[in-house]
Amino acid sequence: MYDELGRVDKDKVVGYVRGLQDPVTGEVSGDSWGEKDTRFAFISLAILSFFDSVDSIDVTGVVGYVERSMNYDGGFGSEPGGESHSAQVFTCLAALAIARKLEIVDRERLSRWLAERQLKCGGLNGRPQKLEDVCYSWWVLSSLKILGRVHWVDCERLCGFILSAQDPVAGGIADRPGDMADVYHTCFGIAGLSLAGFEGFDLEQVDPVYCMPVSVVERAGLRGWIDSRPESWKD
Amino acid sequence: RVEKYCLLNTQVMTLRAQKKYTEEALAATKRLLELNTELHTVWNYRREIFGHLDEWRDAEKKQALLEQELEFLLEIIMKNIKSYWMWNHRTWALCQLPSPSWDGELRLVAKLLAVDARNFHGWDYRRFVVARIREASDDAAAVDRSEFLFTTEQINRDCANHSAWHNRSKLLPAILSELSEEKRQEVIDKEVDLILNAIYTDPDDQNAWLYHEWLLDVQTTAEAKRALLRNKVSAIREFLELEEDSKRPLIELVDAFVAMDDLQPGLVSDAEKKECFAVLAKLRSIDAYHVGKYADTEAMLRKRWAAGV
Repeated sequence: MYDELGRVDKDKVVGYVRGLQDPVTGEVSGDSWGEKDTRFAFISLAILSFFDSVDSIDVTGVVGYVERSMNYDGGFGSEPGGESHSAQVFTCLAALAIARKLEIVDRERLSRWLAERQLKCGGLNGRPQKLEDVCYSWWVLSSLKILGRVHWVDCERLCGFILSAQDPVAGGIADRPGDMADVYHTCFGIAGLSLAGFEGFDLEQVDPVYCMPVSVVERAGLRGWIDSRPESWKD
Repeated sequence: RVEKYCLLNTQVMTLRAQKKYTEEALAATKRLLELNTELHTVWNYRREIFGHLDEWRDAEKKQALLEQELEFLLEIIMKNIKSYWMWNHRTWALCQLPSPSWDGELRLVAKLLAVDARNFHGWDYRRFVVARIREASDDAAAVDRSEFLFTTEQINRDCANHSAWHNRSKLLPAILSELSEEKRQEVIDKEVDLILNAIYTDPDDQNAWLYHEWLLDVQTTAEAKRALLRNKVSAIREFLELEEDSKRPLIELVDAFVAMDDLQPGLVSDAEKKECFAVLAKLRSIDAYHVGKYADTEAMLRKRWAAGV
């Protein structure tokens, strides 16, 4: 965002990320201790994309790992066999977007599952029967944005929920009304407001794959994922 | 208390910077992790220390050290049953153990899931343990059936336990692959009954319907799929008799007709097509949150069923 990527040692970073992929399974670890999670599928591809080095990793292997993490409800889990969870849905969709492989997604089933994350209060939850949380304004809404289905939830009510989770004295946004604000929920609350088309103040458009302003992502040459979506998604 | 914590944190991080891999450092990390289980750098450091201890090179002593570690983890897991770091550390310990007790771990995770049946860390850990048991077993199919039974028990305890249904969805294909065509159909029929039971218990639960829809994918013949869909429509009509504005059954009715139409154009009668549009109009009025979705479905169906409706 500060346009200072040139200060980073590209080769070292790319080498580090490459080294975290299992050459046999295609799965990606978070660090040398080997925790595997589809979060790292996204993070590794995102990092490499900043350096125009996505192909320095075995992309087919990563895509295979993500595909094996897809479930009966159209959602994605943390690993093959893992239960669907909105945050993992985002990371898998974003990874597939960067890898240009969104066609493997069951768009209908997943959209329906995501639409049901909205609760009466207008907030979104991460999976069935769980509590609403402002951060899902990002994980769920960015997923719906990638799928082209943000209008499948009530955005106005969602905005109302996000704003109600503000700390009226100190500022910032919490996970839900009455709790303590923190930067994480503030970031995702604002990103959610932007995706939901909130017009109360002037918000930058946010890219749903990178959680950064569209202007920044365009400048970095990373918006190409939009054009490589399946044709039927582009209505 | 905060001061004590900060002091301890500084102490541990200093030891780590000095690359101290001693018993003293180990003890310090333990005291710190008891206060805050989320310090993944400290868990990493603790594992590094273990690797440097003399006892680590002796299988018996290593076993004893790790068994103690598992006890320690058990003590603190209840502080935060959703901690990624603690579950990862336990997994690491089991992978390091010269003689792991996988059955013991299975019993343990069953107990933890009894406390929090939707804990995905617990379920992920259970799959890790079961995979090891399966590897070591000479009857992998029996292991699968046993796990399948575990999900049945969980579902009988609470038919809305989506984590159990999810796990079941991962086991069913393997179970089916072991069976003859006839036996397969028997199992699938039983599965349909089980999920319909869950649906009758809570018709508003989307996940139950999604599982039912997935069973369609599991069916191999078009005939079996048609039967399942007709079966679904009958079940929905029963609910709607009791409560005609029940949102979820109404949505599923439209979805069922779309699925039938996908299977074979002509399966859905003109009357049923008309009914879909009427249902969508009703849904727009009773479920304001999802009007966007209903509008899309209607537009899609109008395009598809343009003639004669």
